[in-house]
Amino acid sequence: MKERAILLVEDNPKDEALTLRALKRNGIANEVTVAHDGAEALDYLFNTEPDRNWNTGDLPAVVLLDLKLPKVDGLEVLKRIRGSDRTKLLPVVILTSSNEEQDRLAGYKFGANSYVRKPVEFNEFADAVRQLGLYWLILNEAPPAREGPLPHGT
Amino acid sequence: MHFDNKGGTRDGPPVDATNYASAILNILDDAAEEKTRLTGTQRAVLNILDDFTDERNRLGEAQKAVLNILEDSNEEKLRLADTQRAILNILDDAASETIRLEATQKAILNVLDDSAEEKTRLTETQRAVLNILDDFDLEKKKVEQVNAELRNEIVERVRAQEALGRANTATEAANHELEAFSYSVAHDLRAPLRSIDGFSQALLEDCAGSLDDQGKVYLGYVRESAQQMAQLIDDLLALSRVTRSELHRAPINLAAIAKTVLAQLQRNEPDRIVDVVIPEKMTAHGDAGLIRIVLENLLGNAWKFTRKRARPRIEFGWMPRTGETVYFIRDDGAGFNMAYVGKLFAVFQRLHKANEFEGSGIGLAIVHRIVRRHGGRIWAEGEVERGATFYFTLEEET
Repeated sequence: MKERAILLVEDNPKDEALTLRALKRNGIANEVTVAHDGAEALDYLFNTEPDRNWNTGDLPAVVLLDLKLPKVDGLEVLKRIRGSDRTKLLPVVILTSSNEEQDRLAGYKFGANSYVRKPVEFNEFADAVRQLGLYWLILNEAPPAREGPLPHGT
Repeated sequence: MHFDNKGGTRDGPPVDATNYASAILNILDDAAEEKTRLTGTQRAVLNILDDFTDERNRLGEAQKAVLNILEDSNEEKLRLADTQRAILNILDDAASETIRLEATQKAILNVLDDSAEEKTRLTETQRAVLNILDDFDLEKKKVEQVNAELRNEIVERVRAQEALGRANTATEAANHELEAFSYSVAHDLRAPLRSIDGFSQALLEDCAGSLDDQGKVYLGYVRESAQQMAQLIDDLLALSRVTRSELHRAPINLAAIAKTVLAQLQRNEPDRIVDVVIPEKMTAHGDAGLIRIVLENLLGNAWKFTRKRARPRIEFGWMPRTGETVYFIRDDGAGFNMAYVGKLFAVFQRLHKANEFEGSGIGLAIVHRIVRRHGGRIWAEGEVERGATFYFTLEEET
């Protein structure tokens, strides 16, 4: 079975490099697609720009979503993900600099599966990325691609 | 009386004889005279008797008339009695009529009396109504005055409200700016620091061969500084969060919060032995989250500044003061010079060298702000190497 990709939505190239480095250092070899703003992330997820030819139709295993993004911000991306039948069950982890209450509240309110603050200290950051990869790529069972009928009695 | 001349006395008898004769004649004369007189008397008597008879007749008539009259009078008397009776009846009737009349009169008088009373009452009522109208007028004037005052007050209030609205708008704008500022600080200031630290680490790992020891030490300093700055940013955000967050007051047990804070400090430094004195229960009325930050800072300081003592003592207690409760946290640690007590609660002010006791100098500023937001005060006493005591209240002074 093909390992599913990670979608990293990150506008800061240095943070992108550090995240990729942390993933690599933790032995996470899954393909990582990087969207550099919210609009790109939506293009990727909804395949609205087929010319870019970057999506085979499979959804990523997890979206690592920054909040402060150019064009379309992270919360808006999250809302769009939750608002579409195709993506509403997609695991989304908010990975951001802020641990401000308002950000955390909004993140969970709009349906984030997890909220992780990027530590400044690289070792802590690398550890956070390692745990995220471990959890969402290995431990967590992804939702089925298509919704089947719910069992009786629920 | 008058007598006739038959004895001759009158025509001359002889002197003796003549004297006699004369005497007889005289006597005869006398007798005639007497007879005339008698006849006159008889006649007078007869006249008198006549008169008497007349008188008697008249008397009889008169008697008859009187009797008639009496008869008449009797009838009259009867009639009179009848009339009298009738009159008495009439008078009786009149009397009862009078009584009735009197009663009617009395009734009328009563009615008139009543009417008079009624009139008096009416007058009084009228007067009362007039008074009421007067009062009403006064009242109306008063109401108008009050209304005018109210209108003025409303105008003032509206003005005040507008001012308040403007102030609120300004405050909101300021808060908004503060939010935006904090958001920017939280998001944007940390990212470069992450790069500085992350790529320094990358250099140390990936390019270790090209770096001599000195270079590695320098890179270590770069990382340390980046992390320190990240800590400062976090502290500043914490400080601004204290100002931005809403205050939710509720009854809280300070002793319980203090115990969990001290337990955490003990977990972080399990080897330290500190004598802690806290009462079973110490209640207050405050925001549990913010008060926890106060205790984390004050107990954390006590824990930190007693590090060089072999067997330090930290006491958290309270004492009543006029109208308020004063809480205190006392340690027997490094203390401070009272000359610098004014700098104690200012942001980024430190009274100890960084290599002696770590810290960003923000903790007491946060504590100060939280206590102030509760309407309380905070102050401190200390002596170098003889410990410090921090006092605070959580209510407005009464």
